[in-house]
Amino acid sequence: MNQDKTTKQMIIEGLKSQRDTPVYNADTINKISKEFEEWKNSAVSIEHRKHYDITPHSLLGTDLPRRLVYSPIDIKSLDYGEDLGFPGKYPYTRGIHSTMYRGRKFTIRQLSGFAGPEDTNERIKFLLDNGATGVNIVFDIPTIQEYDSDSPVARGQVGMGGVAVDSVNDMELLFKDVPIDKMSVSLVTHYPTNTAILFAMYLVMAERRGIPWEKLRGSVQNDMVMEEVVRGGLEFIPPKECFRTQCDNISFIRTHVPKWNCITLNGYNLREAGASAVTETSVAMANAIETLKELVERGHSVGWIAERISFFWDVANDFFVEIARLRAARRLWYRIMKYRFTADNDKAMLMRCHVQTSGLSLTSEEPMNNIVRAAYHALAAVLGGTQSLHVSSYDEGYSVPTEAASLVSLRTQQIIQEETAISAVVDPIGGSFYVESLTDELEKKILDEIDEIEKMGGIVEAINKGWLHKKIAEYAHHENRMKEKSAIKIVAHNYHKLGGNTAEIDVFRYRSGVEERQRKKIEKLKQRRDNTTVKKSLQKLREACLKHENVLPYCIEASRADATEGEIAQVFREAFGLWHPPMHW
Amino acid sequence: MQSDNIKIVIATLGLETHWRGAVTVAQMLREFGIEVVYIGNAFPEEIIEVAIQEDVSIVGVSSLSGGHLALGNDLISLARKKSVKDKVVFIIGGVFTPNDYNELMNLGFDGIFGPGATGEEIYNFIRKAVTAKKV
Repeated sequence: MNQDKTTKQMIIEGLKSQRDTPVYNADTINKISKEFEEWKNSAVSIEHRKHYDITPHSLLGTDLPRRLVYSPIDIKSLDYGEDLGFPGKYPYTRGIHSTMYRGRKFTIRQLSGFAGPEDTNERIKFLLDNGATGVNIVFDIPTIQEYDSDSPVARGQVGMGGVAVDSVNDMELLFKDVPIDKMSVSLVTHYPTNTAILFAMYLVMAERRGIPWEKLRGSVQNDMVMEEVVRGGLEFIPPKECFRTQCDNISFIRTHVPKWNCITLNGYNLREAGASAVTETSVAMANAIETLKELVERGHSVGWIAERISFFWDVANDFFVEIARLRAARRLWYRIMKYRFTADNDKAMLMRCHVQTSGLSLTSEEPMNNIVRAAYHALAAVLGGTQSLHVSSYDEGYSVPTEAASLVSLRTQQIIQEETAISAVVDPIGGSFYVESLTDELEKKILDEIDEIEKMGGIVEAINKGWLHKKIAEYAHHENRMKEKSAIKIVAHNYHKLGGNTAEIDVFRYRSGVEERQRKKIEKLKQRRDNTTVKKSLQKLREACLKHENVLPYCIEASRADATEGEIAQVFREAFGLWHPPMHW
Repeated sequence: MQSDNIKIVIATLGLETHWRGAVTVAQMLREFGIEVVYIGNAFPEEIIEVAIQEDVSIVGVSSLSGGHLALGNDLISLARKKSVKDKVVFIIGGVFTPNDYNELMNLGFDGIFGPGATGEEIYNFIRKAVTAKKV
C-alpha cells in the first residue's frame, strides 16, 4: 500500500483499462447525439432550451443541475461489468446480495427509547409484537452526554429524548425478556467514549444472563464525528483521543464479539446538522478509511475489520439523488476496498447500511403531511437497496413519537415491503439514464471530497482544524436563507401555508417520576456494590487511558463492578483532558 | 438594517445535543442587525450571569429533547431572583408539544418558537417585545 497516494489517485490508477463491457458503442452515441440536437432545437421551446439544465433546491439537498431529459448520451461510457454488474457481485452498485429483498427483507428497525429502562422495555415488546424485526435503542440526553441521572447537570432531562441508562442494572431492565441471543440489537451509542461504556454494560448484561458474546448480533455507532462535530455539549475530549477510543472499541469488539458491527459510520446526524448527501457520504468514508489505516497499523487484517463496518445514512427529499447516492456509495466503497486497501475478502467490499428517513424534513405545520413525506423517503431508501430502515414519525415536530405514530411508521415499511411489489425485483431503477448519470456524478463528487479531506491530513485533522465544523455551519446558514426566501419550498410551511393554528394531534407525554426512580436506583446501587472494587477498576482504566492500552476491557471490568456511566466517563475526561471545539456561526 | 442596539444572549439549554436551531437563529438575528452573544451549551446560572454582564435586552434559549420545562422554570425563577425578569425579554425555541407551549408561557417566557418559526417572525417579535419592556 503506497501511503503517499490519496485514495482517489489509487482508485483512478486501479480503474484504468479494465472496461471491456461497454453498453454503447461510439456509432450509436453519435447517432443519438445527432437526433438529440435535432429534437432539442425543434421540439423544445427557446425558453426551455435556455434553461435546459435547472438546479432544484430541496432541504438537505445537493444542488445538482438536472437536464430536461436524460439519454444514453449522459452515460455514454457506461461499462456494464465495471460500473454496474449483477447484484451481489462487484462493484455491488445494484445491491450487496444476489437476491436482495427476495432473499432477505430489509430489517424493520424503528428507534425506541424514552423514560426509564422499564418503560422502553415495554415499547420494545410492543414493536416486536407488531412485526418489527430488529431493535434500535436511543438513549436520553444525560446518558448520551455521559452523565448519571443523579448528576446536577442531568436535572429535568432524565428519560427525555431516549432511555436513561446509568449502570448494568439498567441495561438488564432494558432488555428484560428480550431474546438478545436470537435477534439483532442496534445501540445508538453515537460516540466512541459512550460506546466504550454502554457496550461494556451490554456485554456484562449478556454475561449475567449466561449468553456468550459470540452469539450477540447487532451494532453500535462509535463515531468520532458524532462526538466531536455533530454534538453540542459541555465537555469534549481531544479528537486524537476520541479517534483512538473509536479504534480501541473496534479492535476489541471485532475480536471478542465477532457477529457485532463494531462501527456504524453515522452520516445521518451530520447531514441533519447541515450537510449535503455528498458531504454526508464523504465524511463517513474518510473516517472509515482513516480508521482502517489505523487498525492495519495495529496489526489487524483490513478485510477482517471491514467485514463488520456498516453505514448509517439519511434519506431526505431529493428522491432520485437519494437513490443514486446509495448506489454510488456501494460502488465507491467497493472501489476503496479494492484499490485503496486491496482487501482480500468479498464481505469487506460490501457497503451495508441502515437508513433513517430525515427528521429535519418533517414539519410541525399540518403534521399528517409528514406521513407522505416519510413514505417517499422510505421508498427512496428501499429503491436504493438499504439493509434496514427506520421511518421517522409524523409527530417529530412536537415530541418523541407516540405509540400511534410509531405504528404508522412501522406500517409504512410493511406496506412498501408487502403491498407494492417493489421488493420482487432487484435494483428496479438500475439502467435508468437519469439514475445512472446521477450515480456517476455523485460518486465523483464524493470521491473529490474524500480527496480534499485526505489532502488536509485526514478526518482527524479536518476536525482538529475546524474544517468540518465550518462546513456544516455554512451549509446550515445557506440552507436557512434559501428556506427563508422560499427558494426551498416546504408545503404548508412557506408554500401554500394556511393561516391560523396547526392541526391538533395527540402528542407524547413523558411519564413522571423517572428521574426520581433513576436517582433511587443509583443510590441503592452505590450502597450495595463493593466501592473499593469500583475505585480500583476506575484506577486501572485511568492507567490504560494514559498508557495507550485498549480501554474497552477496563470499561468492562468497571461495569462488572457496577460502576456508573458518569463515573467511567469522568475517568476519560480527566485522563484525556478537555478540548474546545471550534465554534462557527 | 436598523437594530436599535438590541443585544441578545443565545444558549443551547443544558445538555441538549442539537445546536443547529440555536445557531441558525443566532445567524439570522445577526443579519437583522442584532448584536448576538452565542455561548453554546449553558445552564441557567451561566446564562443569567452572561445576560447581566453583557447587559443584554433579550435572552434566547433552545431545547429540543425535552429539558425545556424543568430548565426553563429554573431559568425564569433565577431571572426573577436576580431581578432581571422585568428588564429582559425571554424567548425559547425548539420542539414542544402544544400543551408545553402553554406551560412555557405560564412559566413566564415572553415568546415561544417552534420548528416552523421564521427569522422575520422572531425578529419582529423581539423588536416589539424589547420596546414594550422598555416602556
